[in-house]
Amino acid sequence: MTTRRRLLGAALASTLVGLPTAAGAVDIKVVTTRLGLRVWLVQDKSVPVLSLSFSLPGGTATDPAGQSGVTSLMATLLTDGAGWLDGQAFRQSLEDAAASLRFGASLDRLGGSLRVLAATRDEGFALLRLALIQARFAPDMIEQRRTQTIASLNQASQRPSSVAARTLMTTEFAGYPYAADPDGTPDDLRKLTTSDLERRAAALLERRGLVIAVVGDIEADDLARQLDHAFGGLPEGTLPPALPDWTPPTRPRTVVVERPVPQSTALLALPGVLRHDPDWYAVVALNHILGGGGQRSRLFTEVREKRGLAYGASSSLRAYSKAGLIVISTASANERIAETLGVVRTVLARLRAEGPTEQELADAKTYLGGALSLSLDSSPAIAGLLLSMQVDGLSPDHLTRRDRLIEAVTLDDVRRLAHRLLNDELLTTIVVGKPAGIVTDP
Amino acid sequence: MVVLPSSRAPIVTQLLVYKVGSADEVPGKTGIAHFLEHMMFKGTEIVGPSEFSRVVSKNGGRDNAYTTYDSTGYYQTVSPDRLELVMRMEADRMANLRMTEKELVPERQVVLEERRMRIDNSPSALLDEVVNERLYGQGQPYGMPISGTVADVEALTLADLMDFYRQHYMPNNAILIVGGDTTPEQVRELAERFYGPIPARPVAPRRRPDHGASDLPQTVSRADPRVREPRWSRHYLAPSYSKGESQYAYALQVLAQLLGGTETSRLWRALVVDGKRALSAWAGYRPNSLGLASFDIGIHPAASVTMADVEGAVTAELARLIDGGLGAGELERAQNQLLAAAIYAQDSLQSGPRIYGGALSTGSTVADIAAWPERIAAVRPDEVIAAARHVWQPQRLVTSLLTPPPGSR
Repeated sequence: MTTRRRLLGAALASTLVGLPTAAGAVDIKVVTTRLGLRVWLVQDKSVPVLSLSFSLPGGTATDPAGQSGVTSLMATLLTDGAGWLDGQAFRQSLEDAAASLRFGASLDRLGGSLRVLAATRDEGFALLRLALIQARFAPDMIEQRRTQTIASLNQASQRPSSVAARTLMTTEFAGYPYAADPDGTPDDLRKLTTSDLERRAAALLERRGLVIAVVGDIEADDLARQLDHAFGGLPEGTLPPALPDWTPPTRPRTVVVERPVPQSTALLALPGVLRHDPDWYAVVALNHILGGGGQRSRLFTEVREKRGLAYGASSSLRAYSKAGLIVISTASANERIAETLGVVRTVLARLRAEGPTEQELADAKTYLGGALSLSLDSSPAIAGLLLSMQVDGLSPDHLTRRDRLIEAVTLDDVRRLAHRLLNDELLTTIVVGKPAGIVTDP
Repeated sequence: MVVLPSSRAPIVTQLLVYKVGSADEVPGKTGIAHFLEHMMFKGTEIVGPSEFSRVVSKNGGRDNAYTTYDSTGYYQTVSPDRLELVMRMEADRMANLRMTEKELVPERQVVLEERRMRIDNSPSALLDEVVNERLYGQGQPYGMPISGTVADVEALTLADLMDFYRQHYMPNNAILIVGGDTTPEQVRELAERFYGPIPARPVAPRRRPDHGASDLPQTVSRADPRVREPRWSRHYLAPSYSKGESQYAYALQVLAQLLGGTETSRLWRALVVDGKRALSAWAGYRPNSLGLASFDIGIHPAASVTMADVEGAVTAELARLIDGGLGAGELERAQNQLLAAAIYAQDSLQSGPRIYGGALSTGSTVADIAAWPERIAAVRPDEVIAAARHVWQPQRLVTSLLTPPPGSR
């Protein structure tokens, strides 16, 4: 059958019928391949596609000195030509298989994802194998990606949200590897050589610490065979040394970055907890009450609803391998941002002093129980969840226990954590724009 | 009413789309459709101010809304046993919205902050507003910004919003789409119970001109200190599914894909890979529009490449396509890419209601959506060339140049 007819057939196939994937009902099979790779598989034949996600330890935080950006650039170049295929031919092969293959790096890990039709999975896995073991790192592609990255860093240096995000990292993690820009600095990028990139690929692309998640239309024994083929060309290797521990800041700081814009963008950060902390779910509930999803948090109510000071006022948790943060995000007209930040601090102080109400905690538990199921609406989303569970060291039955862990959070737990974490003596404030009445206090 | 049943996950999405958007506003009152979208969360006789989202959230669900040129949509995703709750609340605010000055005053500031974030803080968004004004004409439906002008939003009154609400929010001007773990029978029963009793009222016909601005072609430019990387772009007036020479709408989607849809497309190969004159290149065309659409081309020039060079290179590529025709396999590759995207869209439970909402509010039918893969697959090479000839006319375009201030690069 031609690719066209397969595609047309699948595109016309009637809508979805299939397996329930409520968070608690996700049926995870752990498959061990002949080579000893372990993969978490959720079979779902409702759509004839499959999504694979994988990652391994070693991210941009361990870029060698003077080579910032090398991991990200290397990851991009893995799909820019491999084996007998140059960049254009590699992309056309992916398109012919109706597949998408991407690599990328976070601070802590190098990862990739493959999305392919069930019918063209052989081609998809073959291209994955080629990218992993025979990437070309051709000079013209290196030059193209280098130039594009430098241009996008240049443009980001004027985008208020990007400047705020970057400044938050350089301030909060000053002197620690997380401060470096994952995409590198233009100066370092200009100096990177082909052998720098090849060395980085050789150092990171190993089977140690590899975690894999697959969701979709594939049988376990076929998947095992495909994975052994795709990853079998990589050496076992040894785990890279862990990063040193991070020491959180011990005093408040404010950093203003001037940009010619009418609206100031603000990010505020407090040290949080690590993912494996026993208080994790209490902190998740605290964050939800403070500024989490569902739009009706304390920050949303006080900043947006009552005062109209901002379009968005929210908080989120970041869990890196060596650091946890609570990050608050908002933006107001330059002349009103000082008032907005005053309201944010008052919200923090009140929640710290009084804790949440019984009702707030009960509502948070209901929301958090349902929220995970709502987010599992596509096979890449489910694969992403399975992958992060493995990275976090959780067991496959975690999803059945998660509701109980959330239910077990007490008002005292959240009060205790609010008191410990929402401490404005530890608050880092970043403001980008031309804010009236706010100055840098480093 | 459209029901898209799927038992894949125990969740259900209600999307209620009103057939009214910013393009149904009049000059001097821009931003009203979007402002009203915000006020729809401010309560009714029985649901208190800002309680709507709180109730959805308390019940483990999520909700939000959006405004486009042609439609305004409200959606909630909840577990199936909460469908009745959100449908009752959605019907309630269709008929019984309560707006007060107390709620209006801070929300106006929220709307203006949203505009600052999306538009005023972004040089490219500011320039794109001017492009639309020039392409479609000042004060014309698509020539006015969705978020409104600051002056208009500052002047809108409670009475303005209430009038707009009464003129456009009623069952006969809305499309209900429910996707997920439910049945058509159940949705029909609920819809008749909650939306059924709300009286229908006459709706004024929607107006979209048959032509664009009268003074084309135009070049618009913005030199802005916040720009570090220049952008060249071009926008051709184009037919949509509903307006103009609609028979070209499918060929134009294929054309945009093979011209600038991926990194193997014509523009990318010619300008980024072979010529090294650009950092990136793209083309886009969206046929879901009640009025005329646009066919867009964009280039980020490489350092020391002038805008004139870029324009020359793009013009040469367009001519090469029209004069030289398509290469072997080129058409099929582009068609396959579009078909593959449609398959992957089936893999997301959210995308179904969105696709139907966008299409049905701009004049397409359920049958059109079902036939889309076959119609894309049936596009012939001569149709692509004919569509290109029809759209790429030198007197039907706006060129836009986004640059740093002179001397700063």
